[in-house]
Amino acid sequence: MRTALRIAWREARASRAKFVFVILAVAAGVACLTGVKGFTRVFQTMLSREARTLMAGDLMIRTFSLPTREQQELFDRLEREGLQRTWITETITMLSKSGDAPPVLISVKAIDPKVYPFYGSVRLEPAQTLADALKPDTIAVSNDLLLRMEARIGDSVRLGGQPFRIIGTVQSEPDRMTGSLNVGPRVMMSREAIDRAGLMIAGSRASERFLFKAPPTIPIQRIRRRLQRVFDEALITDYTQTHPIVQNGLQRSSVFLSLVSLVALIVGSLGVGMAMQAHLQQKLDSIAIMKCIGGRSSQIIRIYGLQTLGLGLAGGVLGVVLGGGVQMMFPALIRRYFQVQASWAVDWVSALQGILIGLLTTMLFTLPPLLSIRQVRPALIFRREMGESRRNMRQWFENMKASIAAGTLIVLGIGAIAAWLAQSVRMGVYFATALLVSLAALSGVAWALLRGLHWLRERGPRAIRRLPGGAEIRHGLANLYRPGNHAGAVLVAMGVGVMFTLTVYLVQRGMVGEMVKSAPPGLPNVYLIDITPAQHDAVMKLLKDEPGVAEAPDMIGTVAAKIVTIDGSPLPRETLKGFARRYLRTAAVTSVGEKPSYTQVTEGRWWTGRPAEAELAVADDAARALDIHVGSRIDWSTPSRKFTSKVVAIQKTESVRLNARVEFVFSPGVLDGLPTIYYASVRVRPDLVGQLQTSIYRKFPTITVVNVADVLRIIQDVVNQIAVVVRLISAFALLAGAIILASSVAGQRFRRIREVVVLKTLGATRRSVVGVFSVEFLILGLVAGLMGAIMASIFAALVLKRMMDATPEINWLAGLACIGITAAIAVTSGWAASFQVLGRKPLEILREE
Amino acid sequence: MISVSRLTRTIDTGTHRVEILKGVDLEIPAGEFAAIMGPSGSGKSTLLGLLAGLDTATSGSILLDGQQIVGLSEDKLAVVRSRKIGFVFQAYNLIPTLTAEENVLLPAELQGLGGEYEQRGLDLLTRVGLSDRRDHYPVQLSGGEQQRVALARAFLMRPPILFADEPTGNLDSANGKQVLDLLLDLNRVEGTTLVLVTHDRELAGYASRRITLRDGLIVSDESTANSYAAQSADNAGRPHSL
Repeated sequence: MRTALRIAWREARASRAKFVFVILAVAAGVACLTGVKGFTRVFQTMLSREARTLMAGDLMIRTFSLPTREQQELFDRLEREGLQRTWITETITMLSKSGDAPPVLISVKAIDPKVYPFYGSVRLEPAQTLADALKPDTIAVSNDLLLRMEARIGDSVRLGGQPFRIIGTVQSEPDRMTGSLNVGPRVMMSREAIDRAGLMIAGSRASERFLFKAPPTIPIQRIRRRLQRVFDEALITDYTQTHPIVQNGLQRSSVFLSLVSLVALIVGSLGVGMAMQAHLQQKLDSIAIMKCIGGRSSQIIRIYGLQTLGLGLAGGVLGVVLGGGVQMMFPALIRRYFQVQASWAVDWVSALQGILIGLLTTMLFTLPPLLSIRQVRPALIFRREMGESRRNMRQWFENMKASIAAGTLIVLGIGAIAAWLAQSVRMGVYFATALLVSLAALSGVAWALLRGLHWLRERGPRAIRRLPGGAEIRHGLANLYRPGNHAGAVLVAMGVGVMFTLTVYLVQRGMVGEMVKSAPPGLPNVYLIDITPAQHDAVMKLLKDEPGVAEAPDMIGTVAAKIVTIDGSPLPRETLKGFARRYLRTAAVTSVGEKPSYTQVTEGRWWTGRPAEAELAVADDAARALDIHVGSRIDWSTPSRKFTSKVVAIQKTESVRLNARVEFVFSPGVLDGLPTIYYASVRVRPDLVGQLQTSIYRKFPTITVVNVADVLRIIQDVVNQIAVVVRLISAFALLAGAIILASSVAGQRFRRIREVVVLKTLGATRRSVVGVFSVEFLILGLVAGLMGAIMASIFAALVLKRMMDATPEINWLAGLACIGITAAIAVTSGWAASFQVLGRKPLEILREE
Repeated sequence: MISVSRLTRTIDTGTHRVEILKGVDLEIPAGEFAAIMGPSGSGKSTLLGLLAGLDTATSGSILLDGQQIVGLSEDKLAVVRSRKIGFVFQAYNLIPTLTAEENVLLPAELQGLGGEYEQRGLDLLTRVGLSDRRDHYPVQLSGGEQQRVALARAFLMRPPILFADEPTGNLDSANGKQVLDLLLDLNRVEGTTLVLVTHDRELAGYASRRITLRDGLIVSDESTANSYAAQSADNAGRPHSL
């Protein structure tokens, strides 16, 4: 081993310039990987902070009863472990102003003002902190309460028989949408205040919410599991589930960022493999000489293996430093878009992981060229350019056994590393399969192309054999298939690199497109609740005429109905747990004619016209909870009458639509004559929401207006930020991919040198030489680009459909651009590495080489 | 001693089939200096490569000191090369990334031997007149100097057989003579079997035996009385023996 190390070091010492190139290739791959991982961590922290704002915590329990002793003990234990907790009570009660004015039904939210909220902030008018505002005898109210009661800030009101002073109005509340959407104006008060008011007595009906903030050292899912064991009837959610849009966005961005890390890994490794292969190709003579003077293959493999290890380690360390440096600089570059904290702390675990992965992938991808040392015959010294004897299949297989084993190891190794990085075995399997399929497909295409070219030149029609464009084109084409050419290897490496790099771009576009579709900028930000049939037309007219209303309001009519039996059996009270128990009570149901465009039928079919029998479409969540299928019969009861319906469809409606809140949709005519209450949603210019509230209250004082503008702004911000993050990171990965592809071609430089020399000696002009090699590079780039684009489209479609639940689309423009760009990179980088040779004398070059 | 029987070497690339050697029979006793001659393409370098175990015979047998080397695995051939054979190439074939001294010591290093060979290496460099150039890389040496380093490397392990493929082919006459004299001294003083490929009749004149190849077959095999071995040994200016 010491001898091998000594020889490896001596060899490296004299090839410093060439090794710098190899180290940089490794460093580029590792820098991309650690940079992307670093960005991922920074951005996910930032995104999850925004998402946490919507819940005002990391985790939430919602229940309708106070904690039992066992549950309280768990709370205490969790508190000792570092978990912070705060308690929110939401209920409805009556509030009255002094004098004869009639009392008003209000929603109450009692909080601990010193703790709540854990994330985000409640904005009061006049501006003050919650801790300063909410005392045992003060309350903050919504604007519509002041309107209804004709009250002002500072006025006194009575709640639970106790006097309270109105200290201010609540302008924004981060967890508005995760709280109870109770009707009536809202009042926020402290826990001491609700105790003083005596609102919570035995039997009072209230929603109890417990918010948690976890220390970074405790995974949220672990806390959730512990809570679920003890709170089996409560609804437990974490911050990623605050809103389906946010949930999908975070989940998809997480998958995407893992994908980019893995792509960076693959593309970087390819660069390394190509660089090492080019390096060993240049060492063929030295390897043959060592064999001539008694060196065994195993010794020589050890020498170059140690070199590879050293290069991998140097490149890995440099890559980690570069990746870390870029990660630190990045927040300064994107300050325009995000408030991201620059972190100066070194993440040693990530750094070590980056170095280890750089080393592993270097070794894996260098295995085939290292193993090929066994095939180097000492006779190479005598017969450098002459082809070897043709081998039969058995001999070919014997020689290829080691390469096949190395290839298998590479695929399995990359799959394992991918699974480790993405924390997902499925992702690892997908990646390994994609790599294997792409290698096999590209190798097949390369073989067919080169054979085809050779056949065309030797036996094709005369017109093709005598191609226009002269000797440059003929010679350039011939270069591709002549013995000793490595066009096949370059084609495969470039094609795989293009495939994975383009996949990043296609997945990013598909993902961002899907997010924009699910969270379009014109989402409704105001809800109107409790519109009577008599008010329906007048409200619609008011909304259409009101300034700042973006488009026609969405209005649905609902009827209160209760499920009696499903397929003849009553609802199973004992087995319905947690929030599924709400189906035991009256539900809001509706009827529509045509299927709305934002509703998707996942099973069965939507009705046409007005069916004779009552038909029903059930939301997929409700169908799952109640074990309802297409064909199920459900009996309903309302105060006016009973009726039966047949389930004809299971459906899924976009979560941002008003209809999404109604889980049971009937065919037309089923609910005719039943008491109907309407709900409307509308998009209003945020600064005009107050004006709309005033207009609605003045004409329709019984209608509740819910303003969720601030909440939607946060959701939109999260979605926009995810889109920007995804675009930035994929741009970085694309750039790194292009650099590494370029190095794959440039690494073949050494083969060109002698050829350039010979051509110049024979009288070729610089133009001719440029023409010959440009044809070769161009064809390599075009074919690699085409194959890479085809396979990228397939792989991206699989990732989008299977892992992100998004709809893939064929992107012709991206494919064509990819082919063009790959060809340009191949030609440019091929020449960038060799152009200086063109202007020099042949002997001068030979002496240096 | 070297014994060759019905040796053939054919290259089949699928489109072309080339019979380089068509059946060579040959015996070279220990200590002999044999020159292999012939026009370009006659197969002389191929024959030399096969005798040295650097190439694979298509058929036939080669015995080196009684050991059959046809059919041996690459690793076993490497052992034979390290213990029994020294090789000098026309193109010197030094490792460009190692210094002169490192090139000379490489055969011992590959066998895991150090110690005594380090001193021998230095002595050899001194004897070929390059001790002051030991730290120079091949690119910093002239053709003649590189070939002398290659000679020193070939002699390091005291091989019983030395093969040389046109050792003076790339050198001017002065350097060529110096290299030849060094080779001949080895043959004379240490009794090393020397097999040399050349197209130079004057050089071949120093050999005790001339074997001529044409189109892959031996067409003549003559012993010559006018060999260097038969001449007197008082050549002024002849370098020290190795």
